[in-house]
Amino acid sequence: MSVEATGIPNAEALYQQAPCALLLINEKGLILEVNQTFCQWLGHTREQLIGTRKLQELLTVGGRMFYQTHWMPLLAMQGFITEVKLDFLTAQGTVAPMVLNAGRREHEGQVLNAVSAFIVADRMRFEQELLQAKRQAEDALQRHVVLEHELNRQRELAVDRALFAEQMIGIVSHDLRNPLQVVSMAAQYLRSQDMTERQDTMLGHIGEATTRSQRLINDLLDFTQARIGQGLAVSRAPIQLDRVIAAAVASLRLLHPHREIAFSASDEALFCQADADRLAQLLGNLVTNAVTYGDGASPIDVRVSAAQGTVEIAVHNVGNPIDETQLSTIFSPMTRGAEAGREVRSVGLGLFIVSEIAKAHGGVVEVVSTAQAGTTFAVRFPAYASGGH
Amino acid sequence: MSVQARNNVVVKGQGPLTLVFAHGFGCDQNMWRMVEPTFAKRYRTVLFDMVGCGKSDVGAYDIDKYSTLAGYAEDIVEIIQEFKQGPVVFIGHSVGAMAGVMAANLSRGLISAHAMVGPSPSYITDEDYPGGFTRGDIDALLSTLESNYLGWSSAMAPRIMGNSETPELGAELTNSFCQTDPNIAKRFARVTFLTDSREDVRQLREPVLVIQSSDDFIAPRAVGEYLTQVIDDCRMVLVENEGHCPHLSQPAACIDAIQTFLDQTCGHLPA
Repeated sequence: MSVEATGIPNAEALYQQAPCALLLINEKGLILEVNQTFCQWLGHTREQLIGTRKLQELLTVGGRMFYQTHWMPLLAMQGFITEVKLDFLTAQGTVAPMVLNAGRREHEGQVLNAVSAFIVADRMRFEQELLQAKRQAEDALQRHVVLEHELNRQRELAVDRALFAEQMIGIVSHDLRNPLQVVSMAAQYLRSQDMTERQDTMLGHIGEATTRSQRLINDLLDFTQARIGQGLAVSRAPIQLDRVIAAAVASLRLLHPHREIAFSASDEALFCQADADRLAQLLGNLVTNAVTYGDGASPIDVRVSAAQGTVEIAVHNVGNPIDETQLSTIFSPMTRGAEAGREVRSVGLGLFIVSEIAKAHGGVVEVVSTAQAGTTFAVRFPAYASGGH
Repeated sequence: MSVQARNNVVVKGQGPLTLVFAHGFGCDQNMWRMVEPTFAKRYRTVLFDMVGCGKSDVGAYDIDKYSTLAGYAEDIVEIIQEFKQGPVVFIGHSVGAMAGVMAANLSRGLISAHAMVGPSPSYITDEDYPGGFTRGDIDALLSTLESNYLGWSSAMAPRIMGNSETPELGAELTNSFCQTDPNIAKRFARVTFLTDSREDVRQLREPVLVIQSSDDFIAPRAVGEYLTQVIDDCRMVLVENEGHCPHLSQPAACIDAIQTFLDQTCGHLPA
């Protein structure tokens, strides 16, 4: 390196040996001037480059496409370009990745572009690791998205199937009503004839079985109406609640002659707006439930009361408490008591229908069940539908 | 969202024809700034950015829609339907020209003529088709793109744009290269370089002008000549130019070629 009197290398030496590549190219990319550093990096001589080679010709094919689609237009439009990474091909055929800056200069009417560049081999290895990691993350995300799509699809299929099954239940239940009606009427007709005692007993069984079947079908129809229709239909009218419930208790006593069913009311005359038939159905389901799961030797208590505009119908029985794990789902359809296996009485729609009837009255049903106090189902709803008395 | 906002549509000029300018890969509508103003004096001109490029609405970028050129072509059909007055001449650069071809085939009669700057219907060399590249070359470009976007993060763009040494750039001229979301740029690169539009160009019925650079690495001369052979009504004008953007480096020659084409064909164009 030639050294001037000041002790500092002259400009030409600094340029030639600079720790970065320095080039001057014209608008077409032709190399007009290049320093020693660039020549060394690429393994070419100055003579091989100056006036004969274009910058883009020294790039890999990918780099050259990038040069044409990005570098060239950007340099032409804004006159400078910074931090572009391009791969150069060395004379030995190896790839030398470089980061380049370029700026436009006008010199004696000629447009020139000054270019500086330096090799970024280590940095590129690091960047490739980053890219690799990024790709892996993207792949993982993609797999996750695909999985999620599949789960959603399966879920939709399951929902469709469930809906279809529920509609099926509704249709079949509806269609079963007519033949059952015929059986029931025919049995009643036979009753009026002269019959042996045994025939009479058999007719009694037919009558009970058809009544139970009709109840079951009504439950199923209510269930489908609540699930896939617009909710359970109720028609509220002014009623005297204590009387309606007392009458319902009386018929339940006939249905369960071996169980004691006690009835009490907090007031003499409890008036409210409700669907009397639906309340009788609700009470029937709760009492049937108490008969099935309660202690057979203890009475079942039915109590109606009113406080602060809310009426309550409570059914209490003594016996083993309901398992805690079942309490949260007890009002869902198809839920059955743990011990019911010994005598399955229904498909488990009773409490679901109780809760739907309570809902249709703007109310709720709650259950409290302990070993000491026994089990109490309490249905509460506003005495009058919103909008006045 | 409006078509105008989605594609950053800019309408200028008045005249008997509507010229729709479509940019190519790696750029935005600013690429036409040396050419379009001349035509805006005589014709209605429509400029736009492809979704994901320039000042288009990035929120409108739908991965599925824009995974094929047809997605871009649908947008072009909508732009033309909304902003055209009189016959439409579609002036497309590179992949923009091919999107125009697809739009013309999607909606027959919408475009009356095509001027294509540096078009290539397919970049990968086939048995008897000289596309110029191998699949490996395209992958190398994608990886170059990827390594550049590592450095060119969105945080850097404002600093580069705000360079005070280049006042001619103006604040409004954005650096579309920097502004493109790296993932979108990569996908657009795939659509650009891996789409085979040879069947689509064969179906063209409108008159076509091909502006071919004498030395274009991306769209070589053999590709331009291929187009003149497979398109019914096609003429090629050779412009002495190094590179893929003659509309930037040789704007006068491009303007002459387009004007001559308009003069020759526009008298016969259906309204």
